[in-house]
Amino acid sequence: MQLEQLLQTHFGYPSFRPGQKEVIGQLLDGRDTVALLPTGMGKSLCYQLPGYIFNKPVLIISPLLSLMQDQVDQMKQFGEKRAVAINSFLNRNEKKLVLDTLHRYRFIFISPEMLVQPQIIQRLNRLDLALIVVDEAHCISQWGFDFRPDYLKIGEVLKEDRPPILALSATATEKVLEDIRRFLKMRDPFEYIHSVDRPNIRFGKKVFQTREEKMEWLLDHVTQTEGPGIIYTRSRKRTDEIAAQLLQLGISVSSYHGGKEAEDRQFIQQQFIEGALDWIVATNAFGMGVHKENVRQIIHDTMPSNVADYMQEVGRAGRDGKDAIAILLYSEGDEEVARFIAGEDLPSETQMELYEEYRNRKVDPKEMIQDGFISETTFRVLHYWMGLYPLEEVKSIFRKMMNEKYRSVDEMLRIVKSDRCIREQLVEYFGQTFKDKPEHCCEHCGIDYQQFLLPRQDTKAATAPSTWQMRLRQILLGTD
Amino acid sequence: MLFQYLVLDILKILENERTISSPYHLLKGKRSGQTIQDVGIFHLHPYFGIFPKLSRKKYDEEIQKLVESQLIQITDNSFHVTPKGIQFLRQYEPLPLNGWQYRGNEHLFFSRLSLIVQSLSHAREKVMAFSPIQKDEEIQHWVRHFLLKNDYKSGLLGHNLYDEILQSLGKVQIKEQAKEIVVKRLTGYQMPGFTWEQLGMEYQMPELDAQILYVACLHQWLNEILPNRLQYPYLHQMSEHIRADIPLTGSAYHTALLFKQGYSIEQICRMRKLKQSTIEDHIVELAINDPAFPIEKFISKEDIQQVLVATEDYDTKKLKVLREVLPHLSYFQLRLALVRGENVCN
Repeated sequence: MQLEQLLQTHFGYPSFRPGQKEVIGQLLDGRDTVALLPTGMGKSLCYQLPGYIFNKPVLIISPLLSLMQDQVDQMKQFGEKRAVAINSFLNRNEKKLVLDTLHRYRFIFISPEMLVQPQIIQRLNRLDLALIVVDEAHCISQWGFDFRPDYLKIGEVLKEDRPPILALSATATEKVLEDIRRFLKMRDPFEYIHSVDRPNIRFGKKVFQTREEKMEWLLDHVTQTEGPGIIYTRSRKRTDEIAAQLLQLGISVSSYHGGKEAEDRQFIQQQFIEGALDWIVATNAFGMGVHKENVRQIIHDTMPSNVADYMQEVGRAGRDGKDAIAILLYSEGDEEVARFIAGEDLPSETQMELYEEYRNRKVDPKEMIQDGFISETTFRVLHYWMGLYPLEEVKSIFRKMMNEKYRSVDEMLRIVKSDRCIREQLVEYFGQTFKDKPEHCCEHCGIDYQQFLLPRQDTKAATAPSTWQMRLRQILLGTD
Repeated sequence: MLFQYLVLDILKILENERTISSPYHLLKGKRSGQTIQDVGIFHLHPYFGIFPKLSRKKYDEEIQKLVESQLIQITDNSFHVTPKGIQFLRQYEPLPLNGWQYRGNEHLFFSRLSLIVQSLSHAREKVMAFSPIQKDEEIQHWVRHFLLKNDYKSGLLGHNLYDEILQSLGKVQIKEQAKEIVVKRLTGYQMPGFTWEQLGMEYQMPELDAQILYVACLHQWLNEILPNRLQYPYLHQMSEHIRADIPLTGSAYHTALLFKQGYSIEQICRMRKLKQSTIEDHIVELAINDPAFPIEKFISKEDIQQVLVATEDYDTKKLKVLREVLPHLSYFQLRLALVRGENVCN
């Protein structure tokens, strides 16, 4: 049967999106494949369809617990009930139950921490799998920004006689790609690399002398122009500050960060998706799992710590393919903040020495977390390297990593400071070449902002039901 | 301001008796001997565990505000409420809270309810794909089971639940604002709920105040639902295991079982390999929870009377002072007398 027909049968879509057919074709031939596809381009279809065609379970290794749950939820929402997540959220009984009935599932999501447990890998290696998927594969690279030490072990635990591996990521430089191939022990993989360029996004940039001027511009811009939009900034406190000022100006806006209650975060996401909120002021915690097609503006209140983050955040604009605009704000000294944030998650030398001290005292270094000396994320990385090398060597490794992160900040800064075409520089950063330059390409090529930014309509909020009885009625019984 | 009232109200009761941290542990619902015993001695049942997530930083800020507006004064070992503070207290009506019985489980009730309402709202629109408002797997599992058992596909469940909520919430004696807040924390098809920040702005009150009204309303609502299973069959199911019959800490529960079998404190100590003081804490906890608990096994009626007289004479419930006055009684006996004494008086 033709692939298109299979697509129609299983998903009801008439045609593939760019890259999907190529990737699936190679996997069906049994070839390892690396696919760099931007978020929202149907990555998951690349393994779902082969799962149905082979009629065997697919193993998906995924680094972020929340993301994993999202994916399982989504599959279930679309009628695939044979999806399961194996992660640390499962208690012992649940884990046993899942492992005993593993063969009944079609899509098995697993965290790297779980995968390396002997009992689990043995069970998995006994299964006749269709495919092994490594999602967010850039996490394998210690030069990447979400390095997950356990990812390094994936290649080691998989048995020799394994099904093809599909490594998925949104963005990766050549250096990261090399790490993916090497650590996953891929065999002459086919590579599909989608262009990172998003022609419908225009890249604006504004440089200010002082932070005050920047803030003034931001407030003015948001009151004058139409959303929906996301303002990214780097600290929780700052999201609250900006949101509070915008609220005072009558903008429909909310801040969003990891410090908010889970339900409140859900409400904010839903309000934004439904259009009840025009703007979100967020840390980089916002975006994953938020599917909104018509985001028209992305504003960076301050420069991100690296180009990959910038691309990912900007990429949340214009998913519907219509015009969207990204504006990066810069004022003197912003790179200092970016450097600070970049180094935040890396352990300090004091923390490394403390780890050694705990170990010498025969205390589980993990207690450093409870004792308030280190965050969990930082500990995870430190723990991995301390398990491999002596203290002095670990120190030098982290010094190297820190320099690498500073270098990434400099790369971002170079783009900010340069007068060259922004789009060109971004695309080059990912080692790609550049095809057609759209009109109104970027700040330096010239943008007529008025063509893209509509004046803000002072929308009166739809009259909400006035009493609790009416609201309840509308939720449960509808408006009729 | 409601939150300040709440703290001040507790402070008034604990004035000169406890440290400034005591209300914090109480509001957090700390399961320690001291806090639990204070609940009994000072009759602080309504406030226990109202804010399980309250941060120490936030609490200290609020205390600072009370000091700055001269409603309280911090002393060396304790604090006292100023005349201005008393004035402030008088402006408010007591909050209808029931912390001791619900212990934060009201949030579990609401989590179930909100996911059920969200599911029914989407099912009504034939939209089966949505992002569940509750991420907790256990709650999702519970709700799935509830929906299947009650045949949500027939479309009747939504109507019946609407009627139940309308009736039961309508009967709750609390201002309408509190009910609005509760319903605005529900979410439905194309009708997202509102954040605490948004609710605070709408009603022009601090976020914490909105949360107090929300908790008070849930407590009163549960008080209406629980005794009326036949009237509110669906809401009653959602309240399953929300109110503990014997609201004890896990360890105290074990002690209670042994005690009921007739074992003495010494025997229980040996059997459970616990210190005597721990078992005594458990016994005090039992006495707080069970008005019929036979404390006479440990202290005579006459001695109880003496303790009560002493608390009035010296106007204190400080154990140290009482011990000096009544040296023949142990701390354990004093605590029991204080816990029960109040009940006898009332």
